[in-house]
Formats: sequence, C-alpha cells, structure tokens
Amino acid sequence: MKKKLTLAILVAASANAAVAGPIEEQIRFRQSAYSFAAWNISKIKSQVVDHPETFNKDSVAAAANAIAAVANSGLGALYGEGTDKGVGWKETRLKPEFFQKKEEVTVAANTFNVAANELAKVAATGDVSAIKTQFGKVGESCKSCHDLIRIKE
Amino acid sequence: MKVTIHIWDLPHRLFHWLLAASVTAAYVTAKIGGALIDWHGRIGIFILGLLVFRIIWGFIGSTHSRFSTFFPTFSRLAAYLKGRWQGIGHNPLGGLSVIALIATLAVQVGTGLFANDDIAFQGPLFDLIDKSFSDKLTGWHNTAFNFLLALVVLHLAAIIFYRWVKKTNLVVPMLTGKKNIPIALAEAVATNHDQRFGAVRFILSLIISSTVVWGVSGGVSQLYLAQSQQQIAQAPSSF
Repeated sequence: MKKKLTLAILVAASANAAVAGPIEEQIRFRQSAYSFAAWNISKIKSQVVDHPETFNKDSVAAAANAIAAVANSGLGALYGEGTDKGVGWKETRLKPEFFQKKEEVTVAANTFNVAANELAKVAATGDVSAIKTQFGKVGESCKSCHDLIRIKE
Repeated sequence: MKVTIHIWDLPHRLFHWLLAASVTAAYVTAKIGGALIDWHGRIGIFILGLLVFRIIWGFIGSTHSRFSTFFPTFSRLAAYLKGRWQGIGHNPLGGLSVIALIATLAVQVGTGLFANDDIAFQGPLFDLIDKSFSDKLTGWHNTAFNFLLALVVLHLAAIIFYRWVKKTNLVVPMLTGKKNIPIALAEAVATNHDQRFGAVRFILSLIISSTVVWGVSGGVSQLYLAQSQQQIAQAPSSF
C-alpha cells in the first residue's frame, strides 16, 4: 500500500515537472512570445529591407535584442505533454508529431537561438547589410521549425 | 508531303518559357525561405503580369494563342475523344490543360498577393484585409500549390508521351514557333489560320499587364498603405 502511494506521488510529481502550468496557459504564453517576436521582426524588416532610408540603429538593435530575449527565454518549457491540442489566444497549430521529433526540434530550436543571438550582436554594430544577411538567417530558422512542427492553415 | 507553318507567335513562346522559369524560381525561393521569400513575392508579381498578358493575348494574339481557337468546349472535347477532331494548335485536351493551368496560377497569384508567412513576409496587398483572412488565403495558397504541381507533372508527362508514343516533338515548336504538318491538314484548317501577330496589339497587352504589375507592386499601395507600417516602425523607443 505504502509502495503504491509512493509510486502514485512519484508519477504525479514527474507529470507536474514536465508541464509549466496548465495546457491552455502554455499555449497562450508561447503564442504571446511569438507574436511579440513578430512585432520586432516587422520593425527590422521595415527598417532594413523594405525602407532602409528609415533605418534607426537604436530601434533595430532594441528589436534584435527583444527577439534574442524571446529565443533565450527557454520556450521549450511551454511545449509540455498534451499541448498539441488546446486554445490559447487561438487554437494551437502544433503538430502532434512534435513529441516524436524532439531531436529535430532541438536542432531547429538551437539554430533559431544561435541566429537570433548573432542578429543581436550584428545589430549592435549598425551595419545594415550585415543585419540584412543575418535577418534572413533568422527567417530561415523560423521557417525550418514551422515546416517541421507547425500545421499549415 | 509536309509543310512548315508558324504556329506559336513570339510573345506566346516568351510567355511560355518565362512562365516555366518563373514558376520554378517561385517554388525554389518559397522552399528556401529566409531572405529569398522577398524574391518569391517579386516573382509572384511578375507571374501576375505574365498571366494578365496571356489572358489579353488570348483575345487579341495570333490565331493559335486565342482562347476561341482552342477553348475546350463540350462539342470539341466530344469530337476529340471520338477521334474526329482535326486541328494544329492545342487540341481540346491540351486546351483544357491550358485553362486549368492559367486558372490555378491565377488562384496562386491572387491568394499570394494577400498572403503572409508568419515570419517576415506579407504579400503586397496584405494590408487590405485582416490577418485571419490572410492566414486563410495563405492556406489556400499552400493547398492550390499541390494542384499546380499535379498539373505541371501532367503537362510534362504529356510531352514525354507525345515524344515517345506519338512520335511528336512538342518542345521544338514552342522554341521555334514552327511546326511541320501534313499539307492536307494545313489546307483543311487554312481558314482557321488567319490572325497574324500584331505589334500594336502586343504593345497594348504589354502596357496593360505592366500597369497591373505596377499597381500591385507598390504603385497603388505606396500611395495609401505604406505610411501606417512606417509609423509603427518609427514609433519612439524612449520607453
């Protein structure tokens, strides 16, 4: 009896450790993180690619730092078991395969981390063409993850 | 006895090869993504121009470019399937394929104008609609691509089938514009072969399609829409 109870507590504890809060909350937090990143991406796109005449070094550097901060925040904690179904701000588009593709996901996530941190570094120099190149690499890293684990509309 | 006739006029051939190259380039840039997604957008607008040109040319081009010459009506399709069709341009099945390709590409281009990639790309007319509708159109853009791919595979398979089974080379006429046909056939369809290439009509088609390209690629949108984006970008960063 005592053994069974211990086992039950252990199972419950490990299940708890795997999830950072209720499923809906994880989905909502990660959707927020990406849409905050999207705002910052749009600022860089506008000032570096579409309208380079509006380039503002501080604004772009701040945006790049924000993207890097999102990348470095440990987003993996928001992908707990069961979060492939549920509604945050809206229905999640996480593919159920996410949980079978952990290794590939880790590679993709690390690529995003490295690219975003490099972008922050390059943005600090104010070199527009270097920022543009690195910005493209960040975009590629976003896409590789979307292709891997995100349901297409 | 065979006779050489002009079948595909120069604008028609240019359209065809530019379209083939552009669609390939659009596919590659979409697959790679990153900074190339902007090129995907530019190529898409170019394809829009090609399509507008082709549709106009389908009414005022030379004989075998005209929709009226090859439009796959039921009676033509029925005659073709019974082996009673006679002609030298697109046969009714080929005509069906042309219409399907143009229609699918029109869907691709039309949805692409409003699409977004949820990363750093928005189609040139994205600002005209809300994000959720854009997401929906992006979904259609992805789905319709599979349909386009199937049509392209069918197109290539037909070329191979004609080359190896029917011993007819379809590629060379599309390069040179010329085709060797039996003299009897040439005489039989001679009355249907009277619309020549017209330079004025060509320039007119070019002007209309270029205007559409200019309009969607920034001409119109820059006048009304770009300001809001710039205002967001330049918002004060003091806090």
